[in-house]
Amino acid sequence: MRRFLVISIPLATIILFLAVMLSGNYLKLPLGKNDDIPGLIEVLIKDIQDEQWDKVSQKAEELNQAWEKVVFRVQFSAERNEINNFYIALARLQGAIIEKDRSSAIMELKEAYEHWSQLSN
Amino acid sequence: MNEGLVVFVRSIIAFFSLLIFTRIIGKEQISQLTFFDYVLGITIGSIAASLTTDLSSRAWPHWVGLITWAALGYLMEIVTLKWRYASKVLEGEPVIVIMNGKIMEKALKKAKYRISDILELMRNQGVFDPNEVDFAIIESNGRLSILKKAEHLPVTRKDMNIPAQNTGISTELVYDGILIEENLRQLNKDKDWLMSELKAHGINSISEVFLVTLNPEGSIYIDKYDDHITKVTDIGDYKGPF
Repeated sequence: MRRFLVISIPLATIILFLAVMLSGNYLKLPLGKNDDIPGLIEVLIKDIQDEQWDKVSQKAEELNQAWEKVVFRVQFSAERNEINNFYIALARLQGAIIEKDRSSAIMELKEAYEHWSQLSN
Repeated sequence: MNEGLVVFVRSIIAFFSLLIFTRIIGKEQISQLTFFDYVLGITIGSIAASLTTDLSSRAWPHWVGLITWAALGYLMEIVTLKWRYASKVLEGEPVIVIMNGKIMEKALKKAKYRISDILELMRNQGVFDPNEVDFAIIESNGRLSILKKAEHLPVTRKDMNIPAQNTGISTELVYDGILIEENLRQLNKDKDWLMSELKAHGINSISEVFLVTLNPEGSIYIDKYDDHITKVTDIGDYKGPF
């Protein structure tokens, strides 16, 4: 029994650590309500192309909230650089929406998507 | 993102990973470490430190670095254990620097030691006169082993034909006021015997004693919590904060 514990406790600890460190790839995916980052980006791109700016503002706010949820989940397994870069892309997107600048808004969303896909990868 | 919390969790990961890995690879005592073991330890520690605080990258690549270094260290240990030739190449081998009282200059040069280093290491061992030394060997951990000339070796009981008894290793019977019954049983004694011994020393309860040890020859050592020493010798050479 003692020998079993001496081996199993460190082994279980290592497995737990691996789960924490590698969980980001799974936890960044949509798991609940309003946390679908790629889905929201897709909808936003479509709305921007249609120039429906009221809807775009609302969806951008939803994207912000969804990102906060995802960051909370992936913070232990993700790199801070990608998280920061996503925040910067979101801030730039807000600016492009204010100016109703289609191309800039789409560029920022594409960049944000890239940061999301590189997160914990 | 709460940076403090992330560093806290990463610290736990690094701390216990390091603990587990070093328990697997680190059987040697610090004093027996070779130079490579020393470098290995520093590198693994440094990787664990960046795993803890470098939030700009994920914990995972740092952890992979940690486990790779630990695994290679373990592999080296296995290789040197099973393959004597590799052990000589990887860990080095002892070098005789003084043979029959003569300094081996070529061996010194090969080991990259100055004679002043050897004299210093000799002084560390309490040998101040090279005339006393028959053999001196630099071990692979960098320490100097000295065999003195026969005329400088201390006289032993065997030289004087004085009979000697083995004293053996003392076993703790009471530690910090708590009886260790397992050790009592090992020495074929019981609690009544211990109490009678304590009573002979004016002690009525086990809780009064800090330490009791017994060696196989039957010699008992007793230390009470109350030492009755009124004037404690202070070896401090200047007045400190305590």
